[in-house]
Amino acid sequence: MIEVTELTKRYGKQRGVTDISFTVGEGEIVGFLGPNGAGKTTAMNVITGYLAPTSGSVYVAGVNMLENPVSAKRNIGYLPEQPPLYHDMKVAEYLDFVYDLKGVTELPRRRHIDDVCEMADIQDVRHRLLRNLSKGYRQRVGLAQALLGDPCVLILDEPTSGLDPKQIMDMRKVIKDLGQSHTVMLSTHILQEVSAVCERVLVISEGKIVADGSPADLAGSMAGERKLVVRVAGPRDNVLSLLKSRDGVKKAEPIGEVEERSCDFLVESLPNMDVRKPLFSALAAAGWPILMLRPETVSLEDVFISLTEKKEVQ
Amino acid sequence: MGAIFKRDFRAFFTSMTGFVFLGVFLLIMNIFFSLGNIMDSRSSVAGVFSTMMFINLFTIPLLTMRSFAEDFKQKTDQLLFTAPIRPISVVLGKFLAAFAVYALALVAALLWVLIIAVYGAPNGAEVAGNYLAMLLVGGVYISIGVFISSLTENQLIAAVSSYGVFFLLYILDMLKNGFSSMPAWITSVLYFISITGRHDTITAGLIALDDIIFFLSAAALFLFFCHRILERKRRA
Repeated sequence: MIEVTELTKRYGKQRGVTDISFTVGEGEIVGFLGPNGAGKTTAMNVITGYLAPTSGSVYVAGVNMLENPVSAKRNIGYLPEQPPLYHDMKVAEYLDFVYDLKGVTELPRRRHIDDVCEMADIQDVRHRLLRNLSKGYRQRVGLAQALLGDPCVLILDEPTSGLDPKQIMDMRKVIKDLGQSHTVMLSTHILQEVSAVCERVLVISEGKIVADGSPADLAGSMAGERKLVVRVAGPRDNVLSLLKSRDGVKKAEPIGEVEERSCDFLVESLPNMDVRKPLFSALAAAGWPILMLRPETVSLEDVFISLTEKKEVQ
Repeated sequence: MGAIFKRDFRAFFTSMTGFVFLGVFLLIMNIFFSLGNIMDSRSSVAGVFSTMMFINLFTIPLLTMRSFAEDFKQKTDQLLFTAPIRPISVVLGKFLAAFAVYALALVAALLWVLIIAVYGAPNGAEVAGNYLAMLLVGGVYISIGVFISSLTENQLIAAVSSYGVFFLLYILDMLKNGFSSMPAWITSVLYFISITGRHDTITAGLIALDDIIFFLSAAALFLFFCHRILERKRRA
């Protein structure tokens, strides 16, 4: 649905994005993740045809954006970071205008605008001036605008920025619902958003794509093997040797003492082995009770930080 | 193009700019009409229409300052330039919207012709010539204003720069027969670009093709420049 090849966009000598390539398949919800200033907005502005790339090509629904911008743009609904609203218009007037602007003729005006308002949940503000709407509603009107003309690809630049937690939940739900029938690409710098909404993540840092995969894959790629933190009430060295002797335990090491007369251990198991039951039985048999057992998961945050900070370390 | 024309035209009257333009224009022009035509019981509209040339310098920037500047500021240009239309349609839609408000002022000015017709006999050819000239001159000024508006996202800068450019053109116009010591080629250039000179020819009843082509191509040229600016912005 979206095919970006060796795309570079320079601003003067500064580079917005450098040589990025990726494809987004039909019906995918892809998150474009990166710190502020990584080039997310630049990339989206090029994909939607707002900016011309310095080099590289963009195909949307099989149409080349550079050679055939008018028909390529017909397939895209774009919600920029700041919703492009005319503050002197009422919501209904604005949507009427966008309907005309996009030259939607194959869908009946009233019905289509009603549908779009329902999807974005803005029926109750249709007769209000855009200037007087809250940030949350403005964002939703912006989304409704993107949906007009029923484009197959939706590009949403930070769709939840500036919303309150309830509105964020609502917006994510709307995006997930839209993902059933659209190809969606959204940018964000919020990690939970990616895990909550997206099936696939492209991590962008300093204008380059540094990772591409499902949120779980990304977290998994870092985690490697499973790690457990175990707190055992018992003599440290004896417990340690017992832990090490179990099948499936690759490595065990003491990591400190939090509670009195107990010790915490980090236990690393071999891939695809669940060592929790054997550990429980062995420790119970030895008379050293487990006070706590928790998996040490690698969060997307860790992945993100390690991916985007690599540069600085080098 | 139609959608943009409609939106911009309506915006003139929801934002008051359209009313301010029409109000200022008609107020000043009616003072001149009252003095020049009613008090002096003169039936010729030539005087009041030539005053309009001067009034345009002040009022047209009001019409064009917002054209693109406001869209850049509100970032609504992102909507316009990601919509499935060609950028030239955006330029033309905005130009025509401002031009339509300007034409509205000229329509309102028909009232003078009506008043003259009641108390005397207006010269039909003279009225038609003056209308044609004002439409052509207005088209050029508006296209320059729209072009200047595409250079900034600040309405005020757009308006002030337009005043500056219009005044420069006006002054160059006055210079053309000001100094006998001026090299001949400069004088001929000034004559060539003289808006008032060509305006006066038309209102004098000499409707020559080259004057009409000059006005139309000057308007087209600045709309083309505006289009180039937008394209450069996209490639920036």
